[in-house]
Amino acid sequence: MDVNQAKQEHLLALKVMRLTKPTLFTNMPVTSEDRDLPGDLFSMLMKSDPSTIKGAEMVMLGEMLTLPQNFGNIFLGETFSSYISVHNDSNQVVKDILVKADLQTSSQRLNLSTSNSSVSELKPECCIDDVIHHEVKEIGTHILVCAVSYTTQSGEKLYFRKFFKFQTDEVFLEAQIQNITTSPMFMEKVSLEPSLMYSVTELNMVTSEEEGESTFGKMSYLQPMDTRQYLYCLKPKAEFAEKAGVIKGVTVIGKLDIVWKTNLGERGRLQTSQLQRMAPGYGDIRLTLESVPDTVNLEEPFDITCKITNCSERTMDLVLEMCNTRSVHWCGVSGRQLGKLSPSASMSLPLKLLTSAQGLQSVSGLRLTDTFLKRTYEYDDIAQVCVVCPFLSPES
Amino acid sequence: FTDSPVLTGASNPIQSPLVCQPSPSLSKFFADNGSTNPASDFFDSFTTSSFISVSNPNAESPTVAAPPERQLSSSGTTMPNQTHQDVTTPIFFGAPPMEGPTGASQPGLAEATPPFSKLQAVFSGSDDPFATALSMSEVDRRYDAWLPSEETRKVLISVATQQFNPMHVDKECITMPGLKFDNLQGDAVKDLMLRFLGDQAAAKRQVLTASSVEQSFLGLKQLISTKNWRAAVDLTGRLLTAHGQGYGKSGQPTSHTTDSLQLWFVRLALLTKLSLFQNAELEFEPFGNLDQPDLYYEYYPVIYPGRRGSMVPFSMRVLHAEMTQYLGRPQESLDRLHSMRSVCQKILDNLEEGLAEDGSMMNLTQENRQEVSICELWSCVCTLVSSIAQDFVLAVATYQSLVQYEPEQTVQLLSAIGRIFLQIGDIKTAEKHFLDVEKICQTKADGQPLHTAVMMNRAFLYLSQNNYAEAHTCFTNILKCDPKNPVANNNAAVCLLYLGRLKESLRQLESLVQQDPALYLHESVLFNLTTMYELESSRSTQKKQALLEAVACREGDSFNTQCLKLV
Repeated sequence: MDVNQAKQEHLLALKVMRLTKPTLFTNMPVTSEDRDLPGDLFSMLMKSDPSTIKGAEMVMLGEMLTLPQNFGNIFLGETFSSYISVHNDSNQVVKDILVKADLQTSSQRLNLSTSNSSVSELKPECCIDDVIHHEVKEIGTHILVCAVSYTTQSGEKLYFRKFFKFQTDEVFLEAQIQNITTSPMFMEKVSLEPSLMYSVTELNMVTSEEEGESTFGKMSYLQPMDTRQYLYCLKPKAEFAEKAGVIKGVTVIGKLDIVWKTNLGERGRLQTSQLQRMAPGYGDIRLTLESVPDTVNLEEPFDITCKITNCSERTMDLVLEMCNTRSVHWCGVSGRQLGKLSPSASMSLPLKLLTSAQGLQSVSGLRLTDTFLKRTYEYDDIAQVCVVCPFLSPES
Repeated sequence: FTDSPVLTGASNPIQSPLVCQPSPSLSKFFADNGSTNPASDFFDSFTTSSFISVSNPNAESPTVAAPPERQLSSSGTTMPNQTHQDVTTPIFFGAPPMEGPTGASQPGLAEATPPFSKLQAVFSGSDDPFATALSMSEVDRRYDAWLPSEETRKVLISVATQQFNPMHVDKECITMPGLKFDNLQGDAVKDLMLRFLGDQAAAKRQVLTASSVEQSFLGLKQLISTKNWRAAVDLTGRLLTAHGQGYGKSGQPTSHTTDSLQLWFVRLALLTKLSLFQNAELEFEPFGNLDQPDLYYEYYPVIYPGRRGSMVPFSMRVLHAEMTQYLGRPQESLDRLHSMRSVCQKILDNLEEGLAEDGSMMNLTQENRQEVSICELWSCVCTLVSSIAQDFVLAVATYQSLVQYEPEQTVQLLSAIGRIFLQIGDIKTAEKHFLDVEKICQTKADGQPLHTAVMMNRAFLYLSQNNYAEAHTCFTNILKCDPKNPVANNNAAVCLLYLGRLKESLRQLESLVQQDPALYLHESVLFNLTTMYELESSRSTQKKQALLEAVACREGDSFNTQCLKLV
């Protein structure tokens, strides 16, 4: 998990350990009657074992705590806690030690250290400890960057960094419903009523027509203790994406509305309260399409309008490049400066292009470069257009 | 088919050398010195010694052995009962009832049950009324009582009515076990020593092996009690090989005795304790669901005349049920336990109606009615074990019902329920159970163990609420009254780590291990210690090797060396 960057021998060693909750030690008791061959041997051994429950040695779940033995998984919304220890492995006193722990995600860099002041001296075999916490609000790659700077006895200033990488996972909405009554029930409706911000696609029908068959097929009812999963795909609505700039943080997705019927149409209904969701991160720049025609004529220039939104927390200075593909040819000046874009702000980008091939063509080839960080973002397959030939073949 | 099944049989081809002692002289036990139970003493010393009988020409003739004060009727081999009509308490047989609600403890008897197979070898022949009486012991009947399935019952009836032809027996329904692997991989501690401490240090390691003990039940018990379980598994292998069920013998017709099944039970139990579940499952497989006809005494009317019931120890049934849970199939465990429970319940119902365990008519004396509770206890064990499956709802319900059977364990059981809820993440319900524990502890006399329980539960609650400081305080409070409490000591150190106090935590655990290795050289503590060594510095190997040295001079071959993190 850790990538050691420094090639030089350092006097200090940095160690990081993820601190999930400890686990309770479990035992493996074996029952044996007095008249069996082992007699009470097993029972005596359990009694003298320090990790068994005294007076109830057959209880497997003990009370001894064991530290986590592996990194485990991290899910969106969980808190990442870690122990960071800097140990003086040498035999000399080290001075002015500064330890910094930052978390780098695709959209931001956060300082997690609990103290930002340096420690004046660290004797041999001593260590500087810190426990950091971070609530994971973005999916994707996270990198914990730990940097240590210190001064040796001879006055030499040294510095090293270590990187620790981990990933978080994404989630659709899956609702699991179980019939906890003692009679079978028919699920008439399980729908997600979205909030104003989202539009919902129900993924519980085999076909999307009105008369489509449900994914549960012929099993149209739930027996007692049966469980079913319902899946929904959530998309934020266009107008709300615009107004809020970028959807960040906690949003309200909607309510689950459940209607069921039992014996002779006995009806039951439940509505959940508003369900909430943590939005995943989108990256620094987001490019969306504002207008594009469905059908265009072959080799005739047409207009599209893009919108660029700055999703990061710093001002960007952007340069636009347009690259031609086999079928798409851009019109205009490539490599022009678009000007500064402040955080959460957006700008409209009208563009002209033409296509040289018929059929369904994909609009690709836009490149945005952030001159500050010298980072380029590529945008391909932004839209599809249907290209038709405007000339009718002469008849006669 | 009449290949002598008993370990003690004279005609047994014994491969490994067995230690033999001459039969005790009978006259020694029938002297006229007014001792209270001379006959029972005879049986106890006979069977609790490491005696493995081979035919001894110096032994007294069996017919001398009839005890003077008893007239036992020769009731033949088919009826299971009447001999004790004029006897109120069975005095011959050593095993007192299981601890708990059963009554009728038997005075002056040793703890081990006489394995009747051994006695049978000496008193051969089924005409001997004494032997017949032995084989119809009340206690045996109660412990061996089991209800065979319909198919098994049919086979057993055909055996009893002598219509049974072993040639026609369906191979599917007989038990043909055999060792599935030859030897366990020796001593993991010694292997580590060879690798990290050198040949000289490794040579100093002294543990009991299968060869360094008596090749008998006694030797086996020695290996078990010194925690040399791998060697014990090897020894069971040797003894089972002598019995004809060794490596490669699986699938070959054989026969079973009480002893051979006890050996299998011990072997499979040790494999379980060593977490070698797949090995255990492989070797359990030929036993089916422990109901095959050749696992019943009735299948061997010559060897066990008149004896009825299952040879399979109840503990082996429990082990069989637990096994699938360790293999990741908890539902199967529950199924097996439920079917065991229903058999126990049926037996109980029969007894309560005044019938014998298997539903046949019999005369129950007053004392026998007390033994009904043995079955209750068996039911109780079943339910206790079902709680270890992953079904939390059932586990909690089971623990709650257990409180009725084992009221003295109420505090521990309620606390365990609370911990289960903490594991799931349901803090509120855990809290509710911990409060119940506190109420009970308040009503009882103020004692240290109760105070410990309350503090421990509070500490776990604080942990679940991320309050490591308060959790640490609770654990140290326990140590004020009970400074040697290993759980409180370990857990306090763990809290220190979460509070960012690595050095302190390390010092605490290290000093515990140094001062009291008997208590603290435990897997869970060592996992914590080595994890912290790795967090502390890059030179942790040296410190881990020191732990290896400490372990080497104390722990048996069943020690889980993974906790040393040397490989």
